[in-house]
Amino acid sequence: MKHPSALISALLDGELNAIESAQLHGHLASCGRCSAELQDVQRVRAAIRSLPVLDLPPDLMFEGEPNVVPFRRRRYLIASAAAVVAVIVTVATLFAPEPPPSTSYDDLARSLGAVVSRDPAFGPGKVLPVWGDGGVQQ
Amino acid sequence: MRRLTVLVVILTLFPSVAASATTLEELLERSRTAAYTAEQMISCSTPDGFRGVLARISQQGSSLSITSMTEAGNEIAIGPGVWARSGAGGVVQETTLGGEMIEFVSQYEVEEVGSRWFMGRDASGYRLIRDGVIRGEMVLDDETGAMVRMTSFDNKGSSYCDRRFITFEPVELEAPEFELPEGPTLVLEELAEMPAEVAGFTRVDSYIDNGGLTLTYYSDGFFSFAIFRTPSRVELPESLPVEFDGFRYERVFTAGQVSYAWEVRDQAMAMVGDLPPDLHQAVLEAMPRPVDFGFVQRLWRNLFGPR
Repeated sequence: MKHPSALISALLDGELNAIESAQLHGHLASCGRCSAELQDVQRVRAAIRSLPVLDLPPDLMFEGEPNVVPFRRRRYLIASAAAVVAVIVTVATLFAPEPPPSTSYDDLARSLGAVVSRDPAFGPGKVLPVWGDGGVQQ
Repeated sequence: MRRLTVLVVILTLFPSVAASATTLEELLERSRTAAYTAEQMISCSTPDGFRGVLARISQQGSSLSITSMTEAGNEIAIGPGVWARSGAGGVVQETTLGGEMIEFVSQYEVEEVGSRWFMGRDASGYRLIRDGVIRGEMVLDDETGAMVRMTSFDNKGSSYCDRRFITFEPVELEAPEFELPEGPTLVLEELAEMPAEVAGFTRVDSYIDNGGLTLTYYSDGFFSFAIFRTPSRVELPESLPVEFDGFRYERVFTAGQVSYAWEVRDQAMAMVGDLPPDLHQAVLEAMPRPVDFGFVQRLWRNLFGPR
């Protein structure tokens, strides 16, 4: 049996049957790591149990009948929220400033071409333009 | 008489001595006034596969026009400080900038390889060496100075890109004519936040256009790249995701060029250059890193842009 951390937690929760419990105890007797883990978990649980129980302030509790929203009504709420979000996005899209047009490969090539043409090594060996509608010559 | 005989023997035995008297600088200077038409093949072995293109080139002095031969498309006109692309209805894109030719110090040691015979013409070969590694080989036509072949290498000595003329005809032509409309103009701008040195590359110039796009040009005298910052997202067609140090970028290789795009906190960034793959990571690490946005932020940025 490998180190059964999940079974240790289940043992403390009383979820193991007699056979599983016996097998686990057999393992714990021979495995220092698992028995230490069992003690650690027990210690943590004991510490949690020893914490004082606080009374909730009376005004924290909601008095009266809980407001249960019927499923059909909740569906309308979700649809309404989605509609509001859609309206916001639409308005933002309509009234936001136009995004700048994307920079194309042609834009870069012609700018670089103008600069390269002033390079001392300027000539057909240095220049490579593009052809077509932004297409890449291959 | 005896001295003359010795000279004739030397010139006969070592014709390259006479030919290589032209330096690389002189040939590059000559290339700025060259006039020719050529067909150029560019082929690159990239981590994402082979990239190739065939182009027709006409140079008339400082004007250069390039037309793709492998794809129905547009003609590109380039001159000092000008880039324009013409379509069926005229110029479709144009960028200009003013100023002098860029000046910077090359980080490379130039080694003369000697005379070459390229496409039936006299030419001169050169190697560019940095940190003991050959990074480039160039062949320049002796008469015109045109760079008829250029090969770049990675740090292991493997060929990265090869650009070579497959036809070449020195001929006086009419300069490509383009009536340039008013278009975006890049203005020289000092961008103090961009580092002066990046992975052995020197910041040469910085520019800004009227759309808020900034460009900082870096070079080491052979390879070069630009770092772009833009308020809008960068669209790289057919890009692939790639990660460096757990940071994700979009990358696309074209024939002779590589591009990366990523997003930072309030901007988008891109790097475009002709760097071989071994240099990419060091350059990207020196830049602001990509930001991994959450779902809502991504939604917002998609709707309204990075800002």
